[in-house]
This record gives sequence, C-alpha cells and structure tokens, in this order.
Amino acid sequence: MKKLIVLLALAACRTYPDLPVTEKSQSMRELNAHMRGTAPAVAQNVTAQRIQNARAEPQDWLTYYGAYDGQRYSALDQITRENITRLRPAWQFEFGPIGVIPNPATYSFEAAPIVVDGVMYVSGWDGYVWALDAANGDLLWQYQHAIPLDTPMCCGNVNRGVAVANGRVFFATQNGHLVALDATNGKVAWQTGFADVRAGESATAAPLVVKNLVIAGASGGEYGVRGHLDAFDMATGNRVWRRYTIPAPGEPGSETWSGDSWERGGGTTWITGTYDPELDLVFWGTGNPGPLFDDTPRPGTNLYTDSVLAIDPDDGTIRWHYQFTPADVWDYDGVNENILFEQDGRRLLAHFDRNGYLFILDRTNGQLVRVTRFGEQVTWGDIDASGRVTTRIKPTREGVTICPGPAGAKEWPHAAYSPRTGLLYAPTIDACATFRLVPQQFREGMFYLAGEADVRQHEQSGQVKAIDPATGRQVWSWKGKHPMVASVLATGGDLVFTGEPSGHFNAYDARTGELLWQYQTGNGIHSNPVSYSVGGKQYIAVPTGWGGWVEGFAPEMLGAPRGTSLVVFALP
Amino acid sequence: MRKLSLAFLACAATLLTSCEYVRLLRPSVLKQLNPRVVRLVNELPEVDQPNEELVARLFAHGGLGHAQRDGDGVYRARIRVPAGQYIWEPAIIVMERGGELELDFSNHDPFSYHAALLPNNGSRELLMLPAHKRGTARMRLDGPGYYFFGCPVANHAGRGMLGLIIVSGDAPATAKLDRPKQPRPKRVEAIDPKRTE
Repeated sequence: MKKLIVLLALAACRTYPDLPVTEKSQSMRELNAHMRGTAPAVAQNVTAQRIQNARAEPQDWLTYYGAYDGQRYSALDQITRENITRLRPAWQFEFGPIGVIPNPATYSFEAAPIVVDGVMYVSGWDGYVWALDAANGDLLWQYQHAIPLDTPMCCGNVNRGVAVANGRVFFATQNGHLVALDATNGKVAWQTGFADVRAGESATAAPLVVKNLVIAGASGGEYGVRGHLDAFDMATGNRVWRRYTIPAPGEPGSETWSGDSWERGGGTTWITGTYDPELDLVFWGTGNPGPLFDDTPRPGTNLYTDSVLAIDPDDGTIRWHYQFTPADVWDYDGVNENILFEQDGRRLLAHFDRNGYLFILDRTNGQLVRVTRFGEQVTWGDIDASGRVTTRIKPTREGVTICPGPAGAKEWPHAAYSPRTGLLYAPTIDACATFRLVPQQFREGMFYLAGEADVRQHEQSGQVKAIDPATGRQVWSWKGKHPMVASVLATGGDLVFTGEPSGHFNAYDARTGELLWQYQTGNGIHSNPVSYSVGGKQYIAVPTGWGGWVEGFAPEMLGAPRGTSLVVFALP
Repeated sequence: MRKLSLAFLACAATLLTSCEYVRLLRPSVLKQLNPRVVRLVNELPEVDQPNEELVARLFAHGGLGHAQRDGDGVYRARIRVPAGQYIWEPAIIVMERGGELELDFSNHDPFSYHAALLPNNGSRELLMLPAHKRGTARMRLDGPGYYFFGCPVANHAGRGMLGLIIVSGDAPATAKLDRPKQPRPKRVEAIDPKRTE
C-alpha cells in the first residue's frame, strides 16, 4: 500500500532537472528565405478617389469587384477571341497549409486578388494574406492571423479578399477581427474585433473602402445572430457606425417581427457591397432569417433579411431597401452582388437572387423596374411582373422537394456585366433539394436551422447564362456537368472567363457563348478570377482550391481534389 | 507505531492533496462520472493493445496548466516533454483572456529531438527542441477560442504531441456592442419529435 501511494505521488508530482534556456522560436515567415519581406510602396497612392476612377486604369484591379459598380469587367483587350488559344500559364503561387486548421474539410481559396501597379494582394483560408509580384508570382510578404479551431464558420474556412488603400491592406479575419496591415511589409497597423464568435459570428467577406471608411460585413446567419454592417475610420480603426440589419422594437421594419424573434433574426452581410459615388449610396445584400427553415417562431416578412439595403456611408442610415424573399424558409440569402449599370439614361441595379429571379431596380429609389426568372427549376413560389410574391411550397416535417436547393439558383460567386455587349453573365446552379423541418430550441453559438435541406438525391448541374438586362431574356447559355460556382469575369476582348468544380478554367465568346479555350488547373474553382496588366502584358488570375459548403451546392463533388493554388495566365 | 502510522497517513494525505487525486473524490466530480468514458478506459487495452497508450494519449494526455499573468502583462507557462512518451506536459494551456503568451519548453526526451509549431498573429512560430534543450516562444492571440499547437517532426503529432491553447472569456466589447443577452448551451436536451407534434 505504502509503495503504491509513493508511486502515485511520484507519478503525479514528476520533477524534471532544470535546463538553461538556449533556444528561441522563429517566425515561420522568416523561415522562408526566398520571401523578399517587403513590397514596393505602391499602395500609398491608392486613394478613395482613385478607386472611384478605377475604370481609368484597367491595368489594375483596385477593389473587390474591380470597380465600385460591381461589374467584374476589365477593359483590357490584349487577349481576344482570335488569340485565346495561345493563352498559357505564366506563373503559379502554391501554398500548402501545415498543422491543424479550423474546418479542415472545408478550407477553400475563394479570394478576388487586388492588383496595384504590379503588386498583387490576395487572402486565403485560415487568416493568410500574401503580397506577390504580379509579373512573376514571387512572394513579397506574408501574414497569417491565428484562427481558433472552434471559430463557428458554417460553410468553410474561407476569405474572399482584401481591400487596399492609403498604404494599407485591410482584411477581416475568420474570427471576426478587422485588421489593417502595412502594405509594404505586412505588419499590423491596427486591428479591432467586430464579429462575436461566441454568438456564432465570423467573417469571410472582403471589406470595402468608401471615402475615409472601411466597411466590413459579418457572417453567422445559420447561428441565429442579429446581422450588422460596421464602418471604421481607415486611419485609426475607430468605429464610425454599426447598422443592424434587423430592426429593434420601435424602429422601422420592427412590425415584421414578433416578440423577441428579432434578437435572433439573422440577415448577415457576408458578401461585399457595391457603391455609387454620385448617389453616395452603398448597396449591400443581407442573408437569411433565423431560424433558417421554420418561420413559426418569426411570423411576418422579416425585414431586412434577404434584401438589398441602400446605405448612406456617412452614418449607416438605410435610405431604401428591397426585399427579394419575404419570410424565407429556403435559405435564399439575398447577399448576391448588386451590379450597377446605366440603361436608357436610368441608373439601374441588377441582382441575380438565389430564389431564381433576376431583379432590375432603379437604384436611386429602390423601385422595381423588371423581375424575370433565370433559374431552370423554381417551385418554391412565384414572383409576378409587379414583384408580388406567392409562396407555393414550404418545408414540411416529412420532407418535400423544393427547387432551387438551399444554395439557390445562383450561389454567391458573382455575375459580370460587359458594357461592350450590354449583357449580364451569371454562373448558375440547377438543383433541387428535400427540405425537412426538424424541431429545435435556440442556443447561442449553435446552429439555428430548425430543419435541413438535402441535395444528394437530386441531380445537379449548372450553366453560364448571358442575359439581356433590358428584357430579362437569355441570349445564350453554356451547360456544365456540375453547378457553376465560380465568379464570371468579362473583358474588353469580348471574352467571358469562369471556372468549374472539375478544375477547368474556361473562356467563352461573350457574344455567342462558344467555349473557346479551357485549361485544367488541377483543383476545383470556387473563387473570383480577375484581370490586370504589368509592363503592357495582360494577365488573367484565378485562385483555385475546391471546398466550402460543397454538400450544399455540389455534393457529388465532395471527394474532388482540394488545393491551394493561384494560377495566372498570359499570352506567350 | 501508532504515531508512525498517523504521520504516514498525514504525509500520504498531503501528497494526495497536493497532487490533486483527492479532488477527484468531490461529489461534483463523482456525479459526472460518465459510464461511456469509464467503458472507454476499460476497453481500450482490448481494442488495440499495442497502441493502447497512444490512443489514450491523443484524447487525454499531458494534463492542463494555467498561464500566469506576470507584472509585464505577459502570460507565461512551462511545458515539458518527458522521456519516450511523445506528449506535451501539460498539453492544454489556459489563458484567462487574449494577449501575449510566452511558453517555456524543455525537452527531457533522449529518444528524439522535437519542435513546437505554435499559433501567433502574424505568423506561426517554430521552436526547435533538441534533446535536453530548453527554449521559449512568444505569441499573440486574440481569443476567445482554442488554438492548436503540435510537434511537426516525423509523426510525433500522430503519436500524441498535439496540444491546445485555450483562451477563455468573451468576444471583445467592440464586437458585441448592444446585442441582448441570449441563452447559451450548457447541456442541450434532445427534442422528442413526438412530444412537440
């Protein structure tokens, strides 16, 4: 007995000989001797005014969508329908993660690279930001924010990009901090927390620089959060305003909620907005209400979920709103891009919604100009020409087939607009799902779905569709084997680029939809291709790296190769 | 003889108390004894005898330690690598809130050199740990949440050299602002679908 007690005591109170401290840790970024460590001070000269005039410098891709209008159009025209078959990889940036990462099965490379005067700034999964030489892919500097393993990211360890202005690179970390880096060396200038991970919030969207502000959206609509958009002073990181997307009792729109359901109302802001400098309005989409699939705890239309909000950037006031899916029970977030364009002297906004309809709004006042269906199978309900919504099928306890599935007829990857052809180009999903109610109580930080939508038993495919915004009519379409879930890029060479889950990166004739060129990148594409030029040479860059909420939009591709590679193409 | 027995018992009690075995006898701990965990401990030797220690280690290894906040505001904790076991001791470090953390590692394992790959805002840190060497790593973490650290040498992480840094507390006030307080999960009871029909 005595022996046992002594052994137990020794085992629990083990002592070690003291050793002198001789070793010191090193930063992993310093253990890459090939990294230059600094970037040219090109971002010093990026002002809000210069971003406003981004169209005047097609050699750069200055902001998330290329320009404030969200058109994802590059006027560069060196690569054309005639020479596209000679397009070849110019360089490739590959970054394999080591160590355990949050959501290891779902990390994905989704960013839109920003390019300023030959320097590329791009963000990745797990807190990474890299500055690269845009002409040859050399790594200039690297930053990684430490992301906790338990960060509540519903749909992937992803980040969609950075914003660059006044010598700084701004990005939102997955654990909800907005970080400003020195654009020359990647060192932190300031950081501030803006999304509550304990409440189920996270951050994945690229911030938007408007005037002296950095505007950041947050994620977490699956966790019963109260959505918000936050604006910070670009120089100091001090908050200028927060705009909740769900009104509190007494505020306009609060009559569309009952009891305390507004506290868990959702309406998150997880995709970057667009901006009209002349109207001085930011257009930002909002996500699904909470709980996701069951509206009994929240009778009403649930403003401002699944809406576009026209926001005054000076104080966050909502000037007007348009709700695409009232009382949503299908996960049809209204976050998709709001493309700004002019037609017949009118200032318009085009929005391909997940609910399968293309909305054209007058962006001066939010009035509906035209609504047309672009989804192949749309059974949840109808929207007539006046915009009136009629619900047809809601999720049931037993389960019921409803189209489109929870990722919608178009997921977040963005459409493009070419001012040369006057056409919109959208990546679409043709899929249905079995929607089923599952009773659930609310607990903060846990999924607040009250149901599920299973896509597996249904066939999936996708298309690239060219649509005339003047009529809503389809001009051409190209059908893919799988859902199309990469953003479209339109160029001055009358080409349209996008990627496939198979890893193919494709170029189409913008006027006819003919597939002109294809390159197998090796990894599924779920990102934002961009175009820029250095030294007079046009490049097309596409991050590849399959992942994200694959079971929601392409479950047949859950086993497809994952990767973390940025591939850049040019003519020889 | 009786005095000797009493002294022995007192000594044993002191050792036990200081080594925390006695605290396992608290009613609050006993009532949490989970039959599934007890079964796991009992059955593991039968399930995979050669790897019994390794499998157990991956889930409950090395113990837990608290980082102490020093006068300079930096949290500090010591971690050792014992001989021939492929574990961090402790394997879980708790910080009461985010900030700067300095970990002091010493490798007492003559069987292998090790290294620690650590989380840090800016870039992961790497500390090489040759046998019978000691070193420090400084990192900055936001929290709340838990962060991985591990040994990137050979298959050491797979054999048990995985660790966590747990940053306790809440999200920063700048993130929370004015959201009403919500119910948080302690133990979520399953809902009986029949009951809620």
